[in-house]
Amino acid sequence: MSVKYTPVQWNKNKWGYDAVLIALVVLYITVFIEVGTPAADLARPLDNAILRMRAFGTCALWMLTFILCIGPLARLDKRFLPVLYNRRHFGVLTAVVAFTHAMYVFNWYFSFTAQTTLAAMLASTNGFGQILGFPIEILGLVSLILLGILAATSHDFWLTFLSAPVWKSLHLLIYPAYALVVAHVSLGYFQDSANPVFGVLFVGSALGVAVLHLLALLKERKVNDAATEWVEACKPGDIQDKRAAIVTLSKDERVAIFRTGSSFSAVSNACAHQGGPLGEGKIVYGCVTCPWHGFSYKARNGRSPAPFTEMIPTYNMKLEDGTLYIDRKANQPGTDVEPIIYEVENDG
Amino acid sequence: MTIMMAGMFYLYVGGAVAVVFLVFGLGRIDENARGAWIFRPLLIPGVLLVWPLVIWRWVVLMRGEEKLDRHRMPRIRQERAQLVFVIVIPLILLVSFALRQDPASLSAPVLLEAPE
Repeated sequence: MSVKYTPVQWNKNKWGYDAVLIALVVLYITVFIEVGTPAADLARPLDNAILRMRAFGTCALWMLTFILCIGPLARLDKRFLPVLYNRRHFGVLTAVVAFTHAMYVFNWYFSFTAQTTLAAMLASTNGFGQILGFPIEILGLVSLILLGILAATSHDFWLTFLSAPVWKSLHLLIYPAYALVVAHVSLGYFQDSANPVFGVLFVGSALGVAVLHLLALLKERKVNDAATEWVEACKPGDIQDKRAAIVTLSKDERVAIFRTGSSFSAVSNACAHQGGPLGEGKIVYGCVTCPWHGFSYKARNGRSPAPFTEMIPTYNMKLEDGTLYIDRKANQPGTDVEPIIYEVENDG
Repeated sequence: MTIMMAGMFYLYVGGAVAVVFLVFGLGRIDENARGAWIFRPLLIPGVLLVWPLVIWRWVVLMRGEEKLDRHRMPRIRQERAQLVFVIVIPLILLVSFALRQDPASLSAPVLLEAPE
């Protein structure tokens, strides 16, 4: 949250997350190379350098695939939220693994020239006018640059500096990056691989990512676009204690109504940090707590507790005939709003 | 060659922006960065890659032109990106699968004699 920046904001949980992640990457690459080494030989199509570039390349592919599954999985099932917690470190490590793959490619296929390896690669690519035989190294290179942008702008500073909407828009580059990787593999290794296991895993995982995103999209379609000033939200009794109901005002604006005992307050559903869904979090120590990274706000004024300084917009509410209504017009971030008080009967 | 030179030029300008921004600009627009120097080298790759964006945001924050939209997520943009994504991925797989050659249909490799 808003404290002096440090190079990496680690805590005990993130240390554990990163340790498991690095161990899995090392294990995958070690096993891949150990299993493949007996078949690798300079006189064959597969040698040790190609084996290593495949080890890092497939590792980056699976990591990127998993990263893209985390978002929709967390939207569909809250049990996946802990995986989302440290997704940025996951992404940076993926970029490092992909970069290592690229270095093996450059240093094996484009060495021994008077030019730099990158210049040699750019000078030797052709076949842009055809699908089969398209220079897949260009697809991989552009994807690597996009992953580099995402990794290089992953520090919390960038979120504050760019603002969450701009940062989020920039990080939508993950979609073209993955599409380029899928094209890179589809038109490359997939074309001449006789290994059915890889083919099934690759096609299955890429389709799985697409299906998960489709399911998450369908879940989010419920929209309240009525042009009235006050929007009917819900009955107070519909909200569990220390939890929230999420109300959609328009396609890009949602409100979370939090209940603490008999007190009801409405705040923006988007966390000031990364736009996490606050309404899917709960009240912890009297504060609305984001389920993604634990950023906290007081429900009545949308302000983080001192010494933190983040603020989110609040909304006015009214209670009519036992129903809560939300004023469509958001208040400035940090505006104090008197909570609605309502004693819920038969509260289970 | 032109691509390489354009790329180098872009990075050189990014380097100049990084020096000025990280040494002189950062502390003026973000109070959490004042006195915090150790993390700044980590920002260099990002500035090198997205320096036009950095200059734009720097100007907006220096002029105090930040708006309430800061708290509104680009949900429509994200939904559209996801929609394109769920169409493009199966399409790429379909095309590559349709074009996939049967290794058995290809002629057998021929070992060439080394030149005299």
